[in-house]
Amino acid sequence: MTTDTSHVHINRKEYWVIFLLLFVLTVLEVGVVFVPGIDKMLLISALVGMALVKACIVAWFFMHLSHDTLSIRNGIAAVMALPFLYAAVLIADGLWRLMWTQL
Amino acid sequence: MESWALGRPPCGACAAQFSVVRERTRRLVALYGQLILRVAPRKVRVLEGSMGSHAADDHHHELPFDQWPEDKWTGSASLGKIGMWVFLLSDALTFAGFLIAYGILRGGSEQWVMPGEPQEFGINFTAGLTFLLICSSVTMVMAYAATVENDRKSALRWLLVTGMCGVLFLCGQAQEYFGTFAVLFHHHGLIADGLIFGNSHRASTFYLITAFHGLHVLTGTVYIFVMAFRTYLGKYEGGNYNHIELCGLFWHFVDLVWILVFTFIYLIPA
Repeated sequence: MTTDTSHVHINRKEYWVIFLLLFVLTVLEVGVVFVPGIDKMLLISALVGMALVKACIVAWFFMHLSHDTLSIRNGIAAVMALPFLYAAVLIADGLWRLMWTQL
Repeated sequence: MESWALGRPPCGACAAQFSVVRERTRRLVALYGQLILRVAPRKVRVLEGSMGSHAADDHHHELPFDQWPEDKWTGSASLGKIGMWVFLLSDALTFAGFLIAYGILRGGSEQWVMPGEPQEFGINFTAGLTFLLICSSVTMVMAYAATVENDRKSALRWLLVTGMCGVLFLCGQAQEYFGTFAVLFHHHGLIADGLIFGNSHRASTFYLITAFHGLHVLTGTVYIFVMAFRTYLGKYEGGNYNHIELCGLFWHFVDLVWILVFTFIYLIPA
């Protein structure tokens, strides 16, 4: 069976640039852990931020969400927003408790 | 009922009743079938010709999946691709549940690292594993590109490299848990170091999440080798890339999850 692949755009350079970006972010992640005397809150925010950026890059470029329709993207984003919402509520709850114990 | 059980044919009255029930069921199925086919999006309706009663004169509606008209919502995404995404979303929510449970246990603990347990999980070694998975992601995408461009040899090569990355990752995890390659790494594994499943929240969540991810790597590796074998057989020639794309989706998802697991389990300090 032959398939019309003319609508598929292959950009090898883009893939390698993304690979490089992922590699650099991984090196930064491992590096930032060994920075002496770094503030713990700052460290955790930086790590989580970089991990989320990496995950989004993989989903967007390697899993070809960039080529999918808006409906597919929104559907996936809506489902994936739920655990983040839950985590945000839990973190807010934790900070709230911390505030009260320190008063 | 007994006459049925003994295999004897039912009596005339029973047979008549049975045929009435069968006729009603058939009509009901036909009615719902019609309803579903009328309501369903265009892609499903394309198949109507092969399923409904007009099959004889509607053969021109039967198209291969890749020649179906673009859907209003999903564009040219194949049904397999949508199915894979639904599966991956459910899988992602499972991982999210595990990671959130880990976060609750860790955030609410008085003491996270129990005495007798290793202080950390060996970040440098695991960073190597992370690098391996990132490499395998890019080789997978190269295999996809080669399949789209109908370059079977190159696709097979990239798929085999990706599969080998998966095997290496599994070997790395065996080393990390059991010290299988202790001769090379001079480390006898986390179990030998005293991190035992069930002894602490830290150990249990660690093994649960990393082993669940390891099972995904195992599945993905088998999946990739099967795809490599099918590529070798010439199943994906002429730009028939759909199956390779699905395999790629799964493999990139495994990489994506590892990126998050690596950060939350290994990197965030006690």
